[in-house]
Amino acid sequence: MAPLAGRRAPGPAGTEASLIARAQAGDVGAFERLSGAYADRLFMLLLRLLGDRGEAEDVAQEVMLRAWRGIGGFRGTSSYFTWLYRIAVNEANRALEKRGRRPPSVPIGPDELRLPGPATDDPSRQAEFNELRRALARALAELPPELRTAVVLRDVEGLSTQEAAEIAGVSQAAFKSRLHQARLRVRAAIGDEALVTSGG
Amino acid sequence: MGVPSRSDDHQWSQQHLSHYVEGELGPRARHRLDRHALGCVDCGRGIKAMRALVYAVQGLDGLAGVRAPATIFDRVRLATSGGSPSAQDA
Repeated sequence: MAPLAGRRAPGPAGTEASLIARAQAGDVGAFERLSGAYADRLFMLLLRLLGDRGEAEDVAQEVMLRAWRGIGGFRGTSSYFTWLYRIAVNEANRALEKRGRRPPSVPIGPDELRLPGPATDDPSRQAEFNELRRALARALAELPPELRTAVVLRDVEGLSTQEAAEIAGVSQAAFKSRLHQARLRVRAAIGDEALVTSGG
Repeated sequence: MGVPSRSDDHQWSQQHLSHYVEGELGPRARHRLDRHALGCVDCGRGIKAMRALVYAVQGLDGLAGVRAPATIFDRVRLATSGGSPSAQDA
């Protein structure tokens, strides 16, 4: 499971709750500190969902603007991180719809994927593994947005089903169904033989 | 309720492979799938493939050195036209 290393709330000097209260009162500096703690991770999420750096930068700015405008309505029923991520997923989906649901123009490439390497120096095994990485990148890029979102939130980001479902804006049952459909499609695209021999 | 047929078990198992590898099936459901997979090459291979897939995707846990762009708060700053609060914080 992917660790939540990039997920760090603001430090003791400005607890998250106090930053939220200050941001809600119109303190834009507090908002930047609060949201800045999640900025890198949020940007990576957008890169994974959109597959295009320029578009991810544009959407990231829009996410922050929407969060700033909406923070007055944040009631703390979910964590700030979940709330912010949900805005990001919605904005990414909006961008993909605007784009006409085409696959990412520049899918996240194999060089940027950080799969654990095979425990061998065998060149043929390494070649198989690299091929798996390329196939995985292609298969993820070709998933419809809602299925790609499910895989990214649950498997790549390592969020719990509950949190991922909340961010995706669907019930846990619906989220599990999406995740299962997504995995089946990726599995079909890559093939069982390649998965078991290269990734197992 | 009658005993599920072998084909029922197969279809059901295929639909629950993802939940199985996540450990989200209850003991009875897990036992049902385990028992079926023992005699079903397709489902046995399906479990291995699904595990390998989840493992591989979980490995995509980072985009090396990726940082949010410095411009990420530009629209907020423009909307508030209050200069650069982060510069004040720095």
